[in-house]
Amino acid sequence: MPGRWRRPLASLASLAAFLVAWKVVTVLTGTPDYILPAPEVVVDRGVRAISSGILWPHLTATLAEVVLGFGAGALAAVAVGLALGKSVVVERALSPYIVAAQAIPILALAPLLDIWFGGGLAARVLVCALIVFFPIAIATMVGIRSTDPQLTELLRSLGATRGDLISRLEIPSALPVIFGGLRVGVTLAVVGAVVAEWAGASTGLGVLINIANQGLFDTPLMFVALVWLAAIGLVFHGLVVAAERRLVADR
Amino acid sequence: MTAPRRVSILVLTGLLLAACAAPSATVHPSASATASAAPLRAVRLLLGFQPDVQFSPFYLAQQAGYYADAGFKVTIEYKSDADVVRLVADGQAEFGVADATDVMISRTSGIPIKYVSTLYDLFPVALIGPKGDVPGPTNLASLAGKRIGTPGTYGSSWHALLAILDAAGLKETDVKIREYPTFNQVDGLLNGDVDLITGFRNNEPLQLAAHGMAVDMLTVEDVAPLPGPGMIVGDQLLAAEPGSVAAFAAATLRAQTAITANPQIGLDAAIAVEPTIGADRATALAVLRATIDLWRGSGSAPTGAIDQGVWEKGYATMRRLGLIDGSVPLAEMIRGVLTGG
Repeated sequence: MPGRWRRPLASLASLAAFLVAWKVVTVLTGTPDYILPAPEVVVDRGVRAISSGILWPHLTATLAEVVLGFGAGALAAVAVGLALGKSVVVERALSPYIVAAQAIPILALAPLLDIWFGGGLAARVLVCALIVFFPIAIATMVGIRSTDPQLTELLRSLGATRGDLISRLEIPSALPVIFGGLRVGVTLAVVGAVVAEWAGASTGLGVLINIANQGLFDTPLMFVALVWLAAIGLVFHGLVVAAERRLVADR
Repeated sequence: MTAPRRVSILVLTGLLLAACAAPSATVHPSASATASAAPLRAVRLLLGFQPDVQFSPFYLAQQAGYYADAGFKVTIEYKSDADVVRLVADGQAEFGVADATDVMISRTSGIPIKYVSTLYDLFPVALIGPKGDVPGPTNLASLAGKRIGTPGTYGSSWHALLAILDAAGLKETDVKIREYPTFNQVDGLLNGDVDLITGFRNNEPLQLAAHGMAVDMLTVEDVAPLPGPGMIVGDQLLAAEPGSVAAFAAATLRAQTAITANPQIGLDAAIAVEPTIGADRATALAVLRATIDLWRGSGSAPTGAIDQGVWEKGYATMRRLGLIDGSVPLAEMIRGVLTGG
């Protein structure tokens, strides 16, 4: 088998095995659909949700929150992580706030942010950005500090400026660690979007989960929303991995 | 072994272990009770969200021995409304409390539960606003354009709002709806973010009064009657043990009747379960008195009976609103086990 087919085939085999196991569980236990729907029931419900058009507004709302929240959070986190990595004073000054913000459950903070920021998209993007910020900022700081000091001295001796050191040495050498933070952050962005929607929104996959669960008692539809959330996480994680392969390989 | 293979095997193993474990978790409670030597039958009662003075009949029935007299050892647990319905239907819990409108929707979705006794004679949700700003039954059309705060587009608050708008000849797009998923619509009304809110008649008006706001209410029964919350059981349990279900409902009604006559004993029972309820006894007692008014409706005491007429009107309203499709007849949703039901 050609090497390039191995990975996708392994993924497909894994997915097939998961679906078979899921089906086996529902058959063996006789669990009703309102507790654990079988995979084909979820697929059927998903097709009907797409064809009826009820899925799209929720899907696009969540996608917008994830993209904007991850983008804003990642940019801010890399900038702050860089400052933290370069300056012990900045780290001492900011770290307590960053750690405290991370320690506060976002579930408790989201309703307040919803009130403070007018209950619109901005509030939900901010929740997403906050949840992705910490792992990326810390990864960036750690990555910057792991730069080989001998290489730093070498470049300095060749006349490199402070900007040269950052752009040509420290950031490139920190990239693998930063991408580790981005991988974690992009999946957290999906979680953040759902939490933000639960705190205050009229559309989004998190809202659809609530409507399906508590309004329609439609467990298969709830699973459809969960599957889409998982798919969004997988796709964005894949994009980050692809960017990592390209940028880290080119380094 | 490659990483994907390891992951697959872990997933499969986990799911297969779950498959082996699941049947023991779904054993019908009556089977385990039969096997038990204990004189009282252990049952689970599921209530919504968290301890509350409104649940005082269940606390009193447990503490005063009414449930024991009826042959039950009751464990009270708190779940989301949706989980109450599912777990009772699946036989993982014997009894639960649910909104009648949720019973109609869940039953239509194929969830095998039945509403067996009425706990609230009146639908507890109303449209609430500053005094003079709430339309009455004769000028409902003035609701058009109002900003209305509600927890979300599901549940009893949403059903009440839709029913009122329907009675006014309006659609949800004729008003501006703002959602408060964390149930803080009172803040929205106090801040002036919305003109009106949906809220529980035995709760939100008292909260607003505490902030100095005098309020008016438009109740559901004024314009579009809907049945109130009640006790639910799974079809399987009701078919197998109708006598047990009736005995449990009667024990709960016994406590409701005692509290109606003397609300203080209900408050004390609630405080025994959740001491923080006693932090402001006056407010808690006011909530309980307002709740008692909802239990008994126009009568002098709650009866637990199911009002067929209100259910028929509510069923028709829910169909008109598109919340149920009529595929499941009303007779499959209710089965009264107390006098007059």
